[in-house]
Amino acid sequence: MPLSTPPAPQSVQQSRGLQQRSRAAVTATGLWRAYGSGEAQVVALRDVSVAFASGQFTAIMGPSGSGKSTLMHCLAGLDTTDRGSVDIGGTVITGLGDKALTKLRRDKIGFIFQQFNLLPTLTAEENILLPASIAGAKADPAWISQIIRTLDLQERLSHKPTELSGGQQQRVACARALATRPEVVFADEPTGNLDTRSSGEVLRFLRKSVDDFGQTIVMVTHDPSAAAYADRVVFLADGQIVRDLDRPTADSVIDTMRGFENRVPLAGEAA
Amino acid sequence: MFRAALKGMAARKARLALTSLAVVLGSAFIAAALVLTASIQATVDELNAESFAGSDVLVQPVAPESRGDSLVQQGVSAETLAAVEGTAGVERVGITVAGAINAIGDNGKVVGGLSPTMAANWADEAHDRELREGRGPEGDGEVAVSAKFADDAGLGLGESVTAYSQTTGQTAYEIVGVYGYPGGRDSLGGATEIAFTTAEAQRLVFDGDDAYSALAVHAADGTDADDLAAALEPVVGSESQVRTWEDYNAEATAQSAELTGLVGNFLLGFGLIAVFVSVFLIANTFSIVIAGRLKEIATMRAIGAGRSQVVRSILAEALILGAIAAVVGTAVGIAGGAGLTAAIANSFLDAGQVSLAVPVSAVIAALAVGIGVTVLAALVPAVRASKVPPVEAMRAAVKADRPITVITVVGTIVTLAGGAAMALGLTHNLGGDKAALAGTAVGAGLVFVGVTMLTAWLSKPLVGALGRLWSWNFAGKLGRRNAARNPRRTAVTASALMIGVTLVTATATLLTSVKASIEDYFGEAVKAELFVTGPAVSELPASFDPAVMDDIRAIDDVDAAVEIYYDIADIDGTEQYVNTTTDFGGIIDLFSGEFAEGGTGELADDEIAVNQSAADQLGVGIGDAVAAEFTRGTEAHEFTVAAILVDNENTDGWYVAPVYADEFYTVKPMMALVDVSDGADIDAVTAAVDDALAGEPEVSAQNHEAFVAEVTVFFDFAIIAIQLLLGLAMIVAVIGVVNTLILSVLERTRELGMLRAIGMTRGQTVRMVIVESVTIALFGAVLGIAVGLGLGWALQNALADSGVDVFAVPTALIAGYLAAAVLVGLLAAIAPATRAAKTNILGAIAYE
Repeated sequence: MPLSTPPAPQSVQQSRGLQQRSRAAVTATGLWRAYGSGEAQVVALRDVSVAFASGQFTAIMGPSGSGKSTLMHCLAGLDTTDRGSVDIGGTVITGLGDKALTKLRRDKIGFIFQQFNLLPTLTAEENILLPASIAGAKADPAWISQIIRTLDLQERLSHKPTELSGGQQQRVACARALATRPEVVFADEPTGNLDTRSSGEVLRFLRKSVDDFGQTIVMVTHDPSAAAYADRVVFLADGQIVRDLDRPTADSVIDTMRGFENRVPLAGEAA
Repeated sequence: MFRAALKGMAARKARLALTSLAVVLGSAFIAAALVLTASIQATVDELNAESFAGSDVLVQPVAPESRGDSLVQQGVSAETLAAVEGTAGVERVGITVAGAINAIGDNGKVVGGLSPTMAANWADEAHDRELREGRGPEGDGEVAVSAKFADDAGLGLGESVTAYSQTTGQTAYEIVGVYGYPGGRDSLGGATEIAFTTAEAQRLVFDGDDAYSALAVHAADGTDADDLAAALEPVVGSESQVRTWEDYNAEATAQSAELTGLVGNFLLGFGLIAVFVSVFLIANTFSIVIAGRLKEIATMRAIGAGRSQVVRSILAEALILGAIAAVVGTAVGIAGGAGLTAAIANSFLDAGQVSLAVPVSAVIAALAVGIGVTVLAALVPAVRASKVPPVEAMRAAVKADRPITVITVVGTIVTLAGGAAMALGLTHNLGGDKAALAGTAVGAGLVFVGVTMLTAWLSKPLVGALGRLWSWNFAGKLGRRNAARNPRRTAVTASALMIGVTLVTATATLLTSVKASIEDYFGEAVKAELFVTGPAVSELPASFDPAVMDDIRAIDDVDAAVEIYYDIADIDGTEQYVNTTTDFGGIIDLFSGEFAEGGTGELADDEIAVNQSAADQLGVGIGDAVAAEFTRGTEAHEFTVAAILVDNENTDGWYVAPVYADEFYTVKPMMALVDVSDGADIDAVTAAVDDALAGEPEVSAQNHEAFVAEVTVFFDFAIIAIQLLLGLAMIVAVIGVVNTLILSVLERTRELGMLRAIGMTRGQTVRMVIVESVTIALFGAVLGIAVGLGLGWALQNALADSGVDVFAVPTALIAGYLAAAVLVGLLAAIAPATRAAKTNILGAIAYE
């Protein structure tokens, strides 16, 4: 994993984003996913093809039912696809069995959930080391302490989740996601349960992990200001990618969403 | 409210089904116990009714007043028979001669082992016999045998069988017939039987006297049985008793009712323990179900439901659940009771036909207990639920564990009180032995209850320590943490197993200690290395020909060999235990006995020796005269007390010269002691003694170990019976653990989903749940073993003065209990672990 330069001015960021898109950490090709059958059938993804460049922070946005969560679940090997394939770090995960998928998630993917999902029986430190423990591997201590320092969790390591605030819990969850240096971190509404201040802390860390550590992050969100931390925003509607926005700002995201809301009937007609 | 309860239940079917299993089990056991008791009773009654069926009045000898040997046959005399036959209104008299004998089977061993073969006269009317092969005996050298005897002895038509009684030598008979009983049965209640001619039966049973075991009197037409019985009373006199067949049957029924009642109570005890444990389970499940519904309950309260409505709704749920479970349990119990009856009737009673009886009381009791227990167990959680403030509905459900302070404090007080009572009892500070024993027992019970209350508090350190066993892998570590997560829940779940294990450990410890004490005692007190004896529990005492003693004495390395005859004699109007032997001094020496006064090791024909306390009982001393009449004796003999023995369990009793052996109940010696030279090969001597005993099928040579094993065989049976109790406790425990684990897995769906999402394999998930399960089960077992050992130790100490002076730990059994606990944990983990492994990751982590 290439270690990147410290935060860069907007122009540099743009060029780097373009340059790195050449090597994709995650690639989806022609994904289809439908739930139910007959009258009740809902098509969540219609022929979605998208690539997420290594070392880039991508936000997936879209209204409820647009398929953004389904897309992320399919990308992360949590959900199966009807057609199409997903490639993570050079491994085609489509069609892999549960064992192989589990191992892949363990070794190549990090997760951050809206509900934090820490194990209440474990301390903050044990939660951070959880993926390594599950793998029966030893985590890289230098790397772990670097993350812990970056997230300012040194004082909280021996605390149980119930003794931590929401923001602190989500920071522990972030550390857990990065602990194994995964190919990609999927964050599902990571700020959905946080106040503005904690949200900012978490998002700044995610940004920093991309900039400083070259981490690849895919984040599902419906918050335009959260999306503004990303390098790129992919908009989904009715199971299709309808917009792909580089170098987003909160305003440009909101504008895009407005335009896109107006387009919905058109999109429907087009389908 | 009722409809809401129904709907709520429908939504939680699986959870409730599990809970109700415990109720089903409790109800089933109670129903089964009552049905079994009633059915066995009905079956036995029918068998009883067959006995002497068709006769109107029975004339039987007066039973001897408990001389400990009701086997000594005092027959109805031939004169009485003649008198009865000559009485007006008597049409016909059937004669029965019956008694216990020994018969030697194909393998040279006594047939029947623990219960003797019965001898009967072929003309006997007590039971109908149906010839299957051959014919009835016509000459004194011929016999017909029951099918069961033929089977057990391995002998058949045309073959020869050797039989003998206490008073006769071995005689060979030709088997001329094989018979069964009505209904195609092979035996009467499982006994083996040989039918002889009447004269030969009298020779065996009454030593050749023309006497009878029973007269079955058939009344002439128009004669009333009661009137006939009244008329026969003066004819028969005091020698025999006269009863109408109705009275005889009623008495037999009452006697068997006592026995079946005992069996029924035993089963009922099992049922009550199951019910007791299920109260924990039900209360636990309702608490958890309610905890998961706090939001729902709070919402109901917020929209105006009253507190009593909440309680009623939960109790309604309990009522429905209890009713369904109780009905199912009762049905299962009735079916089980019927099956058990059939099994018992066929295997033990050989009843052929089984009468099934389902008393209304059984149905009512099983239903009432099932429903009552469920509703009662739900009461506490229901009331607690009603206290949920409506504002909880708005908050995210925070499941803070309720403090366990109160129950811990109460539990500590109860445990300490119990400990104090036990200490007082054990140190004899309660005044009187009975009070001491009672104090110890009550204290033991209190400690048991107290520790049960302390399980939650104990679970924290203990579960953590136990869990370390699994810490080698991460899944195990997580499982251990999960087990320690909710002390209250873990404690209640483990209690089910703890209660069972405590009871069996305490009993097994006590029985093992008793056994060890006996072994210890024999090792110290008996100088002789070998015993010559037969089965200790046989109804017909094993005996042997005293002539073999010379052969035994002739064996190399045998220093001394002494035989002993026993009798229960009448001495100065009291029942006393009397021994005789050809070497009085030798027997006292080999049993490490001591003389207190007098005593030369020899007894003249008019001398008698006795131990101190028996002498004190009769108020006699050296030089005093006593009169003794032996079992087979016709008159009392005068003796002078010549020696007083120091009290010693092995030498206690009276001793007379061997000339009286002929008047003893068992005219042959029943036991011999063999003293082997120091340094000799005991096994070789044992083999040589066994060779000398080749012609004596009833006895064999045994060393201390084998002898003690034989003497204590009852304890082995008791220990096995107690393991059944553990089996039941284990079934309930499995249900309890499954219940708790499934609820835990459901509650932790999100956690499981996360763990699976971040890379935990299904195998690791399964291991995690298994460790939690096994840890909980082991916790229960370890606690039970600890408390059980403590209680067993206390009881052993309380009984130390009665001779139980060795404390022995049943290590093999305890290891077995631990293994059983692991098995419980593994079994209980199957369903929850599968469920956990199948957790739908997406469903688990998706928000709302």
